[in-house]
Amino acid sequence: MNVLVCFKIVPDLDRLSIDDWMIDNCARVETRFVNKIINPYDESALELALKLSEQARGVGVAVTLQALTIAGGWANLALKKLRALGYQEAVRIESEEELSFDPEKVATLIATYIHNTNSIDLVMMGRQNSVGDNAKTPLLTAELLKWPCINQVTAVEIDTAGIYQVTSIADEGVITRKVKPPCLLAVGNAPFSYLRVPTLKAIKEQAAQPVKTLDTAELRLFSPFLPLISGVELLDLKIVNRKRAGTIIEGKNAAEKAGILYHSYLKGWLADL
Amino acid sequence: MPLTREQITDALVKIVGTDQVVTEEAVLKESSIDRFRRFEELHGVFTQPLPVAVVYVRNTNDVSAVLGFANEHCINIVPRTGHTATEGGLETVVENSVVLDGSSMNKIIKIDPYNMQATCQCGTSLQDLEDRLREAGYTTGHSPQSKPLAQLGGLVATRSIGQFSTLYGGIEDMVVGLEAVFPNGKITRIKNVPRRAAGPDIRHIIIGNEGALCFITEVTVKIFKYLPENNILLGYTLDNMKTGFEILREVMVEGYRPSVARLYDQEDGAYHFSHFAYNKCVLIFMAEGPKSIADATAEAIESIAGKHSECVKVDTRYLKTWFDHLNWDATDVARERAEIVETKNIGNTTEISANWDKINQIYETCIERIRNEIPDMTLVGGHSSHSYINGTNLYFVHYYNVVDCKPEEEIIKYHWPLKKIIVEETIKAGGSMCHHHGVGKHRTPWIRDEYGSSYYILETLKKAYDPEGIMNQGTIYPKR
Ligand SMILES: Cc1cc2nc3c(=O)[nH]c(=O)nc-3n(C[C@H](O)[C@H](O)[C@H](O)COP(=O)(O)OP(=O)(O)OC[C@H]3O[C@@H](n4cnc5c(N)ncnc54)[C@H](O)[C@@H]3O)c2cc1C
Repeated sequence: MNVLVCFKIVPDLDRLSIDDWMIDNCARVETRFVNKIINPYDESALELALKLSEQARGVGVAVTLQALTIAGGWANLALKKLRALGYQEAVRIESEEELSFDPEKVATLIATYIHNTNSIDLVMMGRQNSVGDNAKTPLLTAELLKWPCINQVTAVEIDTAGIYQVTSIADEGVITRKVKPPCLLAVGNAPFSYLRVPTLKAIKEQAAQPVKTLDTAELRLFSPFLPLISGVELLDLKIVNRKRAGTIIEGKNAAEKAGILYHSYLKGWLADL
Repeated sequence: MPLTREQITDALVKIVGTDQVVTEEAVLKESSIDRFRRFEELHGVFTQPLPVAVVYVRNTNDVSAVLGFANEHCINIVPRTGHTATEGGLETVVENSVVLDGSSMNKIIKIDPYNMQATCQCGTSLQDLEDRLREAGYTTGHSPQSKPLAQLGGLVATRSIGQFSTLYGGIEDMVVGLEAVFPNGKITRIKNVPRRAAGPDIRHIIIGNEGALCFITEVTVKIFKYLPENNILLGYTLDNMKTGFEILREVMVEGYRPSVARLYDQEDGAYHFSHFAYNKCVLIFMAEGPKSIADATAEAIESIAGKHSECVKVDTRYLKTWFDHLNWDATDVARERAEIVETKNIGNTTEISANWDKINQIYETCIERIRNEIPDMTLVGGHSSHSYINGTNLYFVHYYNVVDCKPEEEIIKYHWPLKKIIVEETIKAGGSMCHHHGVGKHRTPWIRDEYGSSYYILETLKKAYDPEGIMNQGTIYPKR
């Protein structure tokens, strides 16, 4: 079984100082000066995959783990760390582009990588990112691949027949489903999913091994999903000014007040709908 | 005949009242240890004898009465305030100990801006005092990372130090006078004066006693004008610690006193500054005080750092996020606990000091030995954070994965061997094995080596003030 975990490195918003929560003219918060971390939901996905591979070993099923990120060379350190933790392969799709607000592009690149690799049967990623926060990437990726997608996943195991048992949180509560691969899991608030820490020895062993790097343009060239790239480029963000004012309706009784509410406010508004 | 647990509890209730005596098992368990044994605790394992009770004293007379009773019946007393001790100072290593908790004595008694001093009870949290002072335009200048949690009694009892110490000094430079109760119940007050030459400075028998000689009930500290608008933060990246130590030394020797003077190595630096200092050491200074002094200090530091070509100046905005998150509060502690349980990765620290000519050697030897000798290490690095005219400190940071051992074996397999390397290498080079966390219970095997011939003085203090040996047995002095 080949499991791919996609992750993103993001600014640690908890480290922002209070005064830094100033929104500039482009509706952005300055995050250049804070530490970077693995997006917490992705971190959970990375740890759940490690737990899955250990559990699989216990039942005699071989699972290989791959980690994938779309980022600049600065992400190599995180990728090497993941190899030190037991990921057999760590891949970087080269990009310095700001993709937080373009889930279509991200999903297309991931789906293309999976399509071209042609051996992955389970994809895991965090359900959303702390910046951008659209929660669309896993759903779009699954749609492109035409794979089933389970959202809000909190645990995953495999049985001897290669069937995944996936626990997730839904409106009805916690549900566990049996899923045949291929499948995409969007990991939510999973308990016990802080990423383990590699030893200095393991990091040293990985330090000299290069990270597999792919070129975005090249990848797109071979993408069967190209038409689905949105072609939308983020130029600007504006704050929508939602001013609200309250009016107290005066009237002798409830019926009179309801009448005023309908005739003076709701009627015209409902007609516009 | 020693008293039974029930007899001790009954007597304590008679002295201080039922509400002040807690005997709930969960409370006794967490009161039998401190941070040193948190790995055991997080796995529900408690290896130390549980105390009989935790007594929440309300005033100096309560303290005096409880100590008098304990002294008469040879009951071990473990003084406590903020419960942030890191070196086992709060471990109840003796059967039927009593934890004497001063955290309810938390009144700020007087802020005296004319004489520039503030008087507090031992359970006053430093954060509360500092907040009150800052509202009025003053500061204690004391800023240990545990400021939101630690309390005045413990801060004095451990000879604590804060992040702005290069300007304001350690707690020993701040304490003006004290009130303390000795094991026989004797209440003593040392008055608040600018200086005295009437014999030895007896404040230093109390400051740093770690609850092994007396119980501190009241503290008076100096206060300073709080002028954050003049602060100038400076930062540099550089390639090696040796250059960093040289720069720190030059700043001190040339007579400048930045409040913050910190040098991080690559490993420890990566933990805090990965966003701008990959594989680099990091030097940080803060010039503070009246504007003319802050400006002159910053200018001098810039000129000293500028002489070293490997020093590259860092955009201050990178440092501001770090500076705004200097301290640890209850949320940080809770997050750390969850992480330890889940990852089985735990970090501890060991702080030492040495003269300028020895510090780099100690640093290099310890790091190399730990890397080679201790298994499962995930981080070993350190920083210097408190500099003096004749030397500096080193704060070693060591994280490891706890592998193939029971929770109660974590200390034996990892923490003690790590401490042993750092302490032994430091003492061998002529440094001090404890810079600011105190001896606690886990550095007592080396206390005689630390003191050499002057151990006579330390030993005699215990004999004189605590002849029955009831005060925090096993702390500073090896367990009898
Ligand atoms: C996250 C964290 C960060 C820290 N950062 C720093 C730092 O920057 N600088 C620093 O110096 N330390 C630091 N420490 C260590 C610790 O906070 C200090 O040692 C502090 O001074 C302890 O104060 P406390 O009130 O918590 O004392 P406690 O933990 O309650 O007790 C500490 C010791 O003092 C004794 N004691 C307590 N109260 C009294 C009393 N009234 N009379 C006599 N003896 C007493 C106890 O028996 C014990 O031996 C840190 C600890 C943590 C957990």
